[in-house]
Amino acid sequence: MEEYYSLPQPEEISEREKEDAMGAYLMMFAAVAIGLPLPIINLIASFIYFYINRKKSKFIHFHSLQSLLSQIPTTIINWGLVVWSVTIFFKDDWKLTPEFWGYAIFAGSATLLYFVYGLIAAYKARQGKMYYFLFFGKIAYEAAFKVDTNSQKIVSEVNKPPF
Amino acid sequence: MNFEIKHSEQLSRGELLLRTFFGWLYIGLPHGFLLFFTGLWGAILSFISFWIILFTGRYPQSFFEFQVGLIRWQIRLNTRMYNLEDGYPAFGVSGTDDKVQIEIPYPESISRGTTLLRLFFGWLYVLIPHGFALLFLGLGVLVSLFLGWWIILFTGKLPVSLHNFVVGTLRWSTRVRLYLGNMTDTYPPFSLD
Repeated sequence: MEEYYSLPQPEEISEREKEDAMGAYLMMFAAVAIGLPLPIINLIASFIYFYINRKKSKFIHFHSLQSLLSQIPTTIINWGLVVWSVTIFFKDDWKLTPEFWGYAIFAGSATLLYFVYGLIAAYKARQGKMYYFLFFGKIAYEAAFKVDTNSQKIVSEVNKPPF
Repeated sequence: MNFEIKHSEQLSRGELLLRTFFGWLYIGLPHGFLLFFTGLWGAILSFISFWIILFTGRYPQSFFEFQVGLIRWQIRLNTRMYNLEDGYPAFGVSGTDDKVQIEIPYPESISRGTTLLRLFFGWLYVLIPHGFALLFLGLGVLVSLFLGWWIILFTGKLPVSLHNFVVGTLRWSTRVRLYLGNMTDTYPPFSLD
């Protein structure tokens, strides 16, 4: 049976941890911060943030990983839009087809939806609460809170008692 | 804020010449390369902090400590490039230096109103007056560095007055940076001290 570490309650989490967890979701604005309209910037920023903060606490680990993973779909969708736009600009002399508009509206809506969910998650993290995204929430929870029984076994096998 | 760079009684002429001719290569290039990317990260955190301050009234402590570390790193680098101190500056936002002491107290709260004021009118009441003063101080620093270079070459010492002037200008510009970066609500004084 899989074991999990107990979830910390809001009053057990320091202000600093809450702030760090909240900051993870705000990495979605990283591209705006440095003025490069490339969706990959957000993902890189989220990865760096996760890498720096993942060992600070399980609460931060969970939120920063959930933020990182949940940005992958919107990053791919927005990259599709960037590539399509560049192709139209260089090859089709800005002839915008209905298909393009359809995809652009879809990408915009997906990004907006992610922003809304991201901001809700940031708000919850600031309050010291868990907030689970569909699909990614479970993965992040498993990664952050699951007890690694394998590593415990290895440790117990290395140091043995004398009898 | 406590900003001090200790004055060295003796500076190496050899290191002075080495820095002058190869400093760009063995100090400027590696530090500049890393500081460019670290600075980008600092810009992202600063932008995000602005919004966090607007909603919570606090600068996130981890972000604040990162920005302070970044400032320390840049000042450590400037200290060597301006020939205020010998030795190689430590890399990283957590690097330390016996000669360079910068302590910036963490503010428990930052005024939302002042943050918005800075955003819309910071150019008017901070950048123009301080920029004007710092422009002339910067010219003074250039002259001081030139004079200081020759003095160190012949005597092996940098006069205290030149040292204090350069350090004072760095202190001044750092205070302006802190204020414009929403890291303090205290308006930077027009002073080298």
